[in-house]
Amino acid sequence: MNRYLPLAITALAILALATLFLVIAPGMQISAQGPSQGLKPYTEAEARGRAVYVSMGCLYCHSQQPRSLAQAPDAERGWGRASVAGDYAYDDPHQLGTMRTGPDLMDIGDRLPSQAWQLTHLYQPRAIASWSIMPAYPYLFEHKDKAGPDDVVVKLPAKYAPKSGVIVAKQDALDLVTYLQGMKRQYAPPKDGLRDNGYALIAEKQRDATDATTASN
Amino acid sequence: MTDKKPDPRRPDETFEPFEETRRIPWPVYSIAIALAIWGVIMLVQTSTAVQVADKTQEEVTKEDSTKLAQAAAPDLDAGKTLFADNCATCHGDAGEGVAGAFPPLHGSDVVKLGGAKAVTHIVMRGIGGKLNVNGDGYEGQMPAFGSVLSDTEISEIASYVATGLNDDAKTISAPEVADIRKVAGDKDPFDGGAGLAGLINDLPAQPNSEAADQGADSERVAQLVGKGTDTVWACASCHGDKGEGIETVPRLAGLPAPYLAKQLHDFQRGTRFNDSMAYVAKGLSDREIGELANYYASMSSPSGAKPSLQGDLKRGAQLAKQGDWSIGVPACFTCHGPSGVGVAPNFPGIAAQQPSYVAHQLAMWAGGARHNSPLGLMAGIGKALNDSDRRAVADYLASLAPMPAMDKTELAAMESNIPVREGVDQ
Repeated sequence: MNRYLPLAITALAILALATLFLVIAPGMQISAQGPSQGLKPYTEAEARGRAVYVSMGCLYCHSQQPRSLAQAPDAERGWGRASVAGDYAYDDPHQLGTMRTGPDLMDIGDRLPSQAWQLTHLYQPRAIASWSIMPAYPYLFEHKDKAGPDDVVVKLPAKYAPKSGVIVAKQDALDLVTYLQGMKRQYAPPKDGLRDNGYALIAEKQRDATDATTASN
Repeated sequence: MTDKKPDPRRPDETFEPFEETRRIPWPVYSIAIALAIWGVIMLVQTSTAVQVADKTQEEVTKEDSTKLAQAAAPDLDAGKTLFADNCATCHGDAGEGVAGAFPPLHGSDVVKLGGAKAVTHIVMRGIGGKLNVNGDGYEGQMPAFGSVLSDTEISEIASYVATGLNDDAKTISAPEVADIRKVAGDKDPFDGGAGLAGLINDLPAQPNSEAADQGADSERVAQLVGKGTDTVWACASCHGDKGEGIETVPRLAGLPAPYLAKQLHDFQRGTRFNDSMAYVAKGLSDREIGELANYYASMSSPSGAKPSLQGDLKRGAQLAKQGDWSIGVPACFTCHGPSGVGVAPNFPGIAAQQPSYVAHQLAMWAGGARHNSPLGLMAGIGKALNDSDRRAVADYLASLAPMPAMDKTELAAMESNIPVREGVDQ
C-alpha cells in the first residue's frame, strides 16, 4: 500500500470518465436541442407568474416532468405525454421537482383551464376538496367591500366566503394563474426529442421491426 | 537471564505470513473473457435491432410519401377499407343500409343525384335530422367525420361510395375535398333532408326542418355555461366553448340529456366522485341541471379529441367492435351504439371522447372509485381490461367522429325520463 501516485491517477481518471459521460456529453447533447416545435416563449404575465411559482416553492410538492408509460401511468392520470428536453427550453432554472405530494403540473393548463377554478383553489383548496393538504394562499388575495371594474372576484362557497364584501385576486395571483393556464405541453413531441425511456423504446422498436417483417411476408 | 535460544521444535514467533505469487487460475480468465464477449454481443445485438427498426420506419415514411404523390386519383381500394372501418357499422358492408334505421348508400337517390361531391359534404358535416332516401323515412343521425378524417381519406370514401357502390363515373380528388372543407368544414350538421335539399338539386320530397331553436335556452343556462355564478365556475371554462372537453375533462356535446342529468345528480349525492364537479353540482338546482343537460345534449360540435395515449388502435378497434370474450369483455358498441354514438337514455356516446378521460374513467371503474353505472356493467369491464387495453380503446374511440346532437323534439320526449334527485331536498 505504498503506490499512492498510480492510485490517485487511476481514481481521477475514473472520475473524469464518469464526468465526461454523465455530465459533459449529455450537456452537449441537450444544449444542441432547440425549443420543441409548438413551445412558445413565456409572455410577460406568464414570466411574472413563473416568478411567483418559484418564490412560493411550488416545486417542493409539484413536479413538472410527466413520465413515459413504461415508467408511470402518468398519461392515464391525464398528466400529459412524457416530457422531452426541448420542452424546458425557456425554463431557467427548470422547475422539474422530484416530490409528487401534489399532482404533476406540466400539463395543468390543458387539464384545468379554468381561471375561476384556479383562483378558488389557490384561495382555499379545501373549498373544493375537503381532504386537500395543499396550503391556502390568502395573501395572494384581497378583501374588498365592493369589487372595482377591473377586479377579478373569486367565486367562493358560503362556508369560505367573507360575511360581507368580496375576495378579489391580487396581480400575483392572476399572474400565477396565467402561468398555470399556459402550461400546455400537448403539442407532438419532436422526433429527436431527448428522453430516457428506459428499455421501453428498444422494446417498441423491436416490436415495430417484427410487425414490419410479418407484414412484408 | 541468558538469551533464549530459539527452540527449533517450536514455530518462529516473529514469522510474517506471506502469500506466494501464484498464477490466476484459468477458470477465472475464461469466465472474464466469456463475460466480455457476451457484453460485446449484447451491445451489437441491441444496436442492430434499433438500426433495423429505424430503417423500416424510414421505408414506411417513404412509401407513405410516394403514395401521397400519386394521390391525384383517389385510391378506391383504400376507400373500400375506409368504408369498412368507418361506415359499414351502420350502412352495412355493401352499403345496403338497415330498413327503418340507416339509409342505404347502394342505389341511393341522394348519392345518385348528388354524386361524390354531395357525399363529401355529408361525410364532412354529418346529418342531424329526418330525411327520406328512396322514398323511405329515416331518423338521420350521422356523425361528422370532418374532424377525424383527412382530405385524402374523405376523397377516397366519397369516391368509393359514388363509383364503387353506385354507377357514378365521377370521383373526387383530395384538393377538391380541401376546397369543400374551406367552405363547409366548420358548419353544423345538415338539418336532415331539408338541409340536403339546399345541396342537391331535384331531391325528392323531404320531411320538414325541425331546426333546433337555440334561442329557447334560458338566460340562466347561458350565464351558467359562459360566466358561472358567484359560487360556481362557468361550465365552458373547463369543458370548452363547444363542450368538446380536453384531456381528463370530458366532451359533453351531444351526450344524452338523461345521462348528463344523472351524472350531475350523482355528483350532488356523492355516488360519483369528483371534487370539482361535486362542488359545481351542489350549487345547481334540479331545474338548472335539467336545462344544462338539455343544453349540452342539443349541442353539435366537431371532435376535440385525438389519440394521444400511444394505444394500439387495432386492439382498440377490436375491443370496441367485437369485444374480447377471452377476458369476458363485450364490444363497446353493443351498448354504446354503432360507432359509439350513444344510445339514449342510459348509454352515453363514447365516440370522439377525450382519450385521457376514457382511460382514467376505465381505471376508476376498475378500482371502484366510480361505481354509478346501471347494473354495475362498467365495473366488470374496467376490471377485465389491463392498462394497455384501456389506452388502446381510449385512443381508438378518440379517433372516431362525433355524433350530431339530438333535436329538441326528441329531447322533449325524453324529458320525462330524466331521473329526479332522490333525497331530503325533494
